[in-house]
Amino acid sequence: MKRFVYINDDEASKELCCDNRISNRKYTLWNFLPKNLWEQFSRFMNQYFLLIACLQLWSLITPVNPASTWGPLIFIFAVSASKEAWDDYHRYLSDKKANEKEVWIVKQGIKKHIQAQDIQVGNIVWLRENDEVPCDLVLLGTSDPQGVCYVETAALDGETDLKTRVIPSACVGIDLELLHKMKGVIECPIPDKDIRRFDANMRLFPPFIDNDVCSLTIKNTLLQSCYLRNTEWACGVSVYTGNQTKLGMSRGIAEPKLTAMDAMIDKLTGAIFVFQIVVVMVLGVAGNVWKDTEARKQWYVQYPEEAPWYELLVIPLRFELLCSIMIPISIKVSLDLVKGLYAKFIEWDVEMIDQETGTASYAANTAISEDLGQVEYILTDKTGTLTDNKMIFRRCCIGGIFYGNENGDALKDAQLLNAITSGSTDVIRFLTVMAICNTVIPVQSKAGDIVYKAQSQDEDALVIAAAKLHMVFVGKNANLLEIRFNGSIIRYEVLEILEFTSDRKRMSVVVKDCQNGKIILLSKGADEAILPYACAGQQTRTIGDAVEHYSQLGLRTLCLAWRELEENEYLEWSVKFKEASSLLVDREWRIAEVCQRLEHDLYILGVTAIEDRLQDGVPETIETLRKAGINFWMLTGDKQNTAIQIALSCNFISPEPKGQLLMIDGKTKEDVSRSLERVLLTMRITASEPKDVAFVIDGWALEIALKHHHKDFVELAILSRTAICCRVTPSQKAQLVEILKSCDYRTLAIGDGGNDVRMIQQADIGVGISGREGLQAARAADYSIGRFRFLKRLILVHGRYSYNRTAFLSQYSFYKSLLICFIQILRFWNQSFQFG
Amino acid sequence: MSSNTASSSAGAAGSGDSSAARKNSKRPKYSKFTQQELPACKPILTPGWVISTFLIVSVIFIPLGVISLFASQDVVEIVDRYDTECIPEPARTNKIAYIQGDGDKVCTRDLKVTKRMKQPVYVYYQLENFYQNHRRYVKSRSDSQLRSPKSENQISACKPEDDVGGQPIVPCGLIAWSLFNDTYALSRNNVSLAVNKKGIAWKSDKEHKFGNKVFPKNFQKGNITGGATLDPRIPLSEQEDLIVWMRTAALPTFRKLYGKIESDLEMGDIIHVTLKNNYNTYSFNGKKKLVLSTTSWLGGKNDFLGIAYLTVGGICFFLALAFTIMYLVKPRRLGDPSYLSWNRNPGGR
Repeated sequence: MKRFVYINDDEASKELCCDNRISNRKYTLWNFLPKNLWEQFSRFMNQYFLLIACLQLWSLITPVNPASTWGPLIFIFAVSASKEAWDDYHRYLSDKKANEKEVWIVKQGIKKHIQAQDIQVGNIVWLRENDEVPCDLVLLGTSDPQGVCYVETAALDGETDLKTRVIPSACVGIDLELLHKMKGVIECPIPDKDIRRFDANMRLFPPFIDNDVCSLTIKNTLLQSCYLRNTEWACGVSVYTGNQTKLGMSRGIAEPKLTAMDAMIDKLTGAIFVFQIVVVMVLGVAGNVWKDTEARKQWYVQYPEEAPWYELLVIPLRFELLCSIMIPISIKVSLDLVKGLYAKFIEWDVEMIDQETGTASYAANTAISEDLGQVEYILTDKTGTLTDNKMIFRRCCIGGIFYGNENGDALKDAQLLNAITSGSTDVIRFLTVMAICNTVIPVQSKAGDIVYKAQSQDEDALVIAAAKLHMVFVGKNANLLEIRFNGSIIRYEVLEILEFTSDRKRMSVVVKDCQNGKIILLSKGADEAILPYACAGQQTRTIGDAVEHYSQLGLRTLCLAWRELEENEYLEWSVKFKEASSLLVDREWRIAEVCQRLEHDLYILGVTAIEDRLQDGVPETIETLRKAGINFWMLTGDKQNTAIQIALSCNFISPEPKGQLLMIDGKTKEDVSRSLERVLLTMRITASEPKDVAFVIDGWALEIALKHHHKDFVELAILSRTAICCRVTPSQKAQLVEILKSCDYRTLAIGDGGNDVRMIQQADIGVGISGREGLQAARAADYSIGRFRFLKRLILVHGRYSYNRTAFLSQYSFYKSLLICFIQILRFWNQSFQFG
Repeated sequence: MSSNTASSSAGAAGSGDSSAARKNSKRPKYSKFTQQELPACKPILTPGWVISTFLIVSVIFIPLGVISLFASQDVVEIVDRYDTECIPEPARTNKIAYIQGDGDKVCTRDLKVTKRMKQPVYVYYQLENFYQNHRRYVKSRSDSQLRSPKSENQISACKPEDDVGGQPIVPCGLIAWSLFNDTYALSRNNVSLAVNKKGIAWKSDKEHKFGNKVFPKNFQKGNITGGATLDPRIPLSEQEDLIVWMRTAALPTFRKLYGKIESDLEMGDIIHVTLKNNYNTYSFNGKKKLVLSTTSWLGGKNDFLGIAYLTVGGICFFLALAFTIMYLVKPRRLGDPSYLSWNRNPGGR
């Protein structure tokens, strides 16, 4: 399925008709009433109330004034509807503001000022610095001669750094005037919601260059709701508009979560309804029988001889009306009200304000507070959740020499500083990789300092550390990097960036040294992603030991590597890489494969060790929640050793005599199966002992275990109170949540980064930490808190209160209405079943 | 239960502008309410509390029960069922035919006073198996018509006793139509005993619900006659028998006040009752009884209240005793977490 967008061609794009009107609204003015009513009446309880209210309109059978039911019914419907309407009105207002924003577009070769909502697919849109992008665009030109521009994507993915976007190669060198008259066609996939992929091709029509197909990636796009920064102007052709943009497609309304309590109330309602029907039938039959046998004798009642056909129904229906109060109409309103209040209490709580940033807690989902009081499993992310995610470069190991071991800070290690001044090749190469093997953008601030905008905290830490070690990354001008080392400027030209993906676990850049024209591959990545590709002669033992040593200290390690490339080799490879990058299907996989071909025979320079500090109060929080009978699982993308160290330091698991760690590992199906069985056996034996047993599994073994030994793994999950899963992908995190949920446990997932979003959405309760990795997790979550330690108060105070209160309220509601109803039912025996 | 709220809140989050997080970063104000620190108290049911509560309840309830029972015992009540007895022996095979037939259905009864009865002695008639609470019956009246002559035509609720040949019946409806019409004349030692029929209805009924300008019209003129007839010259507010009858009873067994005897009855007196047995309770097997009763400060003769108090008080006393023994024999530490369900069987959920 593809879409063809004709640039600047009003006729050809007509069939794609969709204009750029954004609509987040659920309703329109006309369909509000029917749609809202339909939605409300799709619930059993509301249907029931409507039925009762309608029956009451029949004066022959109603024992009470119909207003007594219609009043509350209309009231609760009005309350729900006006809440919906109010929300929808605000959505309408914000849509309207976005839709009526003025933008410059080109129509028939002339620049025009129009409203954002009138942009058509294929229009060329012009943006100035700090403008918001009105729809998804493919870049055509920027003020930068190299065709680079910077965007802030915070609204899209929550990442606050600046990202580079470049114009497609085909458009390089087209001057400003010609951009107005540009014609061409873009072949792109039908709209989807993947904000990290855009696999398309573009072909410009003559007179613009030859009709060579030019591949497009997400790097060539400006997505809706991003901001243009540090760039004077940019222009692009709109490919997706309105609600079909990447943002619009991913907006969707998350599935509402139902609490255990709600499910219980629904069940109870159903049971009471059945009971009510039984009562009504019994009483109705008794009433009819009594009427036929006895009532005719009661002359003072003057029963008519002839009865209409529906006479038989009248008595049961009257009983139905009298018993209708068994299901209290008030419970819905009261529950909604108190749940709103619980959420407010969470937001008001002064003890849950992050003193550092002043962020209060926020309850996005007001309906599930009482589930907080029933949490049985907490699945937590490590980085940024348990730890601070403030990365600080602490130690390193270069060419077998450990720096920073004495004072714990390599930046102050005289030995390292000496090595730098003496110009040791390895050390300088090491620093070069630290400084340029990344996607960091240096920004010169007004005061003249250099501020780095980095996508990951690790890269930020490395670049800052390199700068402190006199290897300062000064500027990035399109593909040209400038580095100041000991007063001299070194320039590198970036030829290719082999990006980091969670599967590859490494990233590389190919640069050309502008001084001597050498082409170099610089890599950094996890040890298991780098060490196997070391060049044949190199001993990786010391490196491996260093990694081991550092991770035992709870530090995050990265291996840095280097290789000089032959020009031919690079050119040959470059063709394949371009080919892979222009694929429309399986692009990611193919690129990974091609990258693999370049990343081998690496010369390992050394290991960096970055400290990731624990947040305050983490051990205490975990211990308290443990005591409350809540089980903890740690799911992290980090290395096993690092994960275990962090787990030890925050009371997650106990050290040897008291606790025991069981490893599940293996690379093959048999290995995993054997180790899983062994762990399971130990678990069963130790189940009755007061010993903290935890199992550790890595992503690879987990995948095998889930695929082939699903049942065993589920049993293990039930038996173990603690687990550490390392090297897991976002979808595995979600899978683990799913497994625990399928065992009927109430799960709470807590995390802070984009990789936790799926787990947060999957869990019964998702808690986001509004931390440094952006707001993505916090936005997807039901609750967002500032620090991990607030979880204690959230669960043990708010959760408990909410649960107790809701339980009391709903039980009391049912008790009260059943009591009233039973008094009436007992009375019927004295009333010869004829009152009703 | 929550789908509405959930969807709307999720919707708000979905449209989720980045301002959502920022807006909420403003500091919440401190107050005892927002921090859930308002003073509250909740009793902890310690053995001391429970036992003393039960003891106090039993100490209050048992004497109350005794007092109520005594009060009820003081009331002297003479009940005489006459529905069968007042039908001559030969007619008893077909009581309905007898009661519906013409003729003077006079009957005499002798009641023996077993204990001295101080005035006022209330005279009641008691009906059993008579459903004055039947929906069809209880709704068949027009209050506005009873109140004022202007609303004479508001008879829509009164069917089927609403009009006679287009003329509205006053008072209309089944209740009025079925007015009780047995009469009693009492005498002692051949001296007639005055029965005062004034002041037997509620004051509020006489003053507000039944108008003093409303006179009976077309009453009992329909093709079937129900119960008693009314004197069309007397306004409804003075027709106290009707007012008493129209205050419908909630249960199928009920007493209604007939009148008051304003002299003492001595022990051993024989009260001679001449009654006119007119009212048909035979077609539905209803019983008719004549009741003479005094009252105490608690009302008529009714042991229920006393028994109820004694039962509750007794149970409380018993529980207090049982708990005390349990507490002395096998005391249990308060707040011991090892009694919690999940601590009792380790390993299990």
